[in-house]
Amino acid sequence: MILIYRHLGAIKIAGLLIFMVFVCLPLVQMTLLSFIATLPHEGLEVGQFTIRNFTTILTEPNLRAAFANSIAYVLINICITIPVALPAAYAFSRMSFLGDKSLFLAFIAFRITPPVVLTLPVFQLFSALGIVNSVFGIALAHCLFNLPISIWILQGFISAIPKEMDETAFIDGYSRPRFIWSILIPQIRAGVAVAAFFCFMFSWVEVVFARILTTTNGKPISMAISSLFGFQTDIGLVMAVTLASMAPGAVLLFAMRNHLSRGFRIGQV
Amino acid sequence: MPNLQVCGGAERLSMKPTDNTGWFFVLPAMAVLGLIGLIPLITVVNYSFFEIFILSSRFWVGLEWYAELIGSARFWQSFARSALFSMIVLLIQIPLGIALALCIPRGRIWIGLSLVVVALPLLVPWNMIPALWLSLLNPDTGILGRLGAVLGWPANWKDSVLHTWVVIVAMDVWHWTSLVVILCYSALTTIPAAYYQAAAIDGARPWDVFRFIQFPRLQNVLLMAVLLRFMDSFMIYTEAFPINAGGPAQATLFLAVDLGEEIKAFNYGPSAARSVLYFLIIVTVAWLFTKAQGKLEDKAAS
Repeated sequence: MILIYRHLGAIKIAGLLIFMVFVCLPLVQMTLLSFIATLPHEGLEVGQFTIRNFTTILTEPNLRAAFANSIAYVLINICITIPVALPAAYAFSRMSFLGDKSLFLAFIAFRITPPVVLTLPVFQLFSALGIVNSVFGIALAHCLFNLPISIWILQGFISAIPKEMDETAFIDGYSRPRFIWSILIPQIRAGVAVAAFFCFMFSWVEVVFARILTTTNGKPISMAISSLFGFQTDIGLVMAVTLASMAPGAVLLFAMRNHLSRGFRIGQV
Repeated sequence: MPNLQVCGGAERLSMKPTDNTGWFFVLPAMAVLGLIGLIPLITVVNYSFFEIFILSSRFWVGLEWYAELIGSARFWQSFARSALFSMIVLLIQIPLGIALALCIPRGRIWIGLSLVVVALPLLVPWNMIPALWLSLLNPDTGILGRLGAVLGWPANWKDSVLHTWVVIVAMDVWHWTSLVVILCYSALTTIPAAYYQAAAIDGARPWDVFRFIQFPRLQNVLLMAVLLRFMDSFMIYTEAFPINAGGPAQATLFLAVDLGEEIKAFNYGPSAARSVLYFLIIVTVAWLFTKAQGKLEDKAAS
């Protein structure tokens, strides 16, 4: 035991490094394959080093459209989720109202409802509303899991702001909505960014709704990758598209690195 | 060290004013979730009692679909497989996630770097995760596949139940442990430095620090992590199937696969009954979790 305690620091670093290697293994494999020609093309033999896979992404209109679609629906999703989640998070954090705990649990219940359970009626509902095969449909469907998560994250950030700030503002004659808009939101900028980041992350990689809601048009990246699989799959191109699809997320992840762990603080609702 | 237990357990006993105008603030969220969550759910419940060929003509069949489902061996077999998978996944990911969160070094740069690297798998599109692992295990071109030939990993691992399970579990651990790490780490950062200083003065060993300071802070977040991980692994759909098509001999055929197949075939009635049944299982488990959380809070308050 004492031996373990003495070397605890080194053991911790070693453990973390081993896990990081494990995390990177499939990603390294992906990166290696993405720079290799896996199908014969003009002037290229299988197994040769090439950047053709990446230039294909830029020249192929389907793939370019897929990237545009993914970016569009994620942005729309964030624009719906954050303004709706903010007041709800404020209420859960600051007010005690009839049934608040049950309501919070009901919201979380929607987060843990598997999308596959709701795909059929969501498809019908969205057909009736005329928003299938559009980026708006996917954006709205993804609120199902992004909204509860955002409320949870924002609620944690708001709870970290001292209550005295609300009370002072009310004495100064602020109404609640005006207080939220002009005082609270600037205070929890980081929280809004973290919530938006998690919306992006869960929405960007989701496939179940994305598949059923885009049969002809508005396909996101994940579905564009799916359609690359066929009789003769150019696995190098598949890996290149995947790698490229991770790039925006990785940049955001790096930008958010110091705030990432500040979400998810569970206050008692 | 009873004094440490007290300062670790009780927290946030502040009172919130009773104010029913809170309902106005949650109204937009309720409207959105009502539209995309509640209405589809009610629709599913409704469909589950009907035989539907086309939506305009349907016949009431009562509980027939449910009876069929509950009476089928295939359902219970895949139920058992999903439950086993969730258990294994939780038993690995939760302790591993806590351990890794504790391993993250101090120092701003290292925290950021560790979290970024650990979170990378969350950015991979879900339908690409099995493809990544299959290419990693490819005996000719994969890193692990070529290594495996030396270490005794069979090239025809798809014929073996055990090996297929190992691959799927490893894949899920790879994909989702980072979420547990982020959740746990965010809880750990709420511990004031004074607690650690007090522990150091008392000469507490690292295990005591974990047991009496860190673990009490983790409890609430852990319940949430367990809940999220249980649900997502119990209903694993996109990732598990392409690894080995549910095989060998249906040994990795999980609950959600059958549902996905029925939805693809537009079998409204049976797929709706199945959805309702799955939803009920999930609500029951979630309810048990909130019970557990209530118990924890009572303990913290007393």
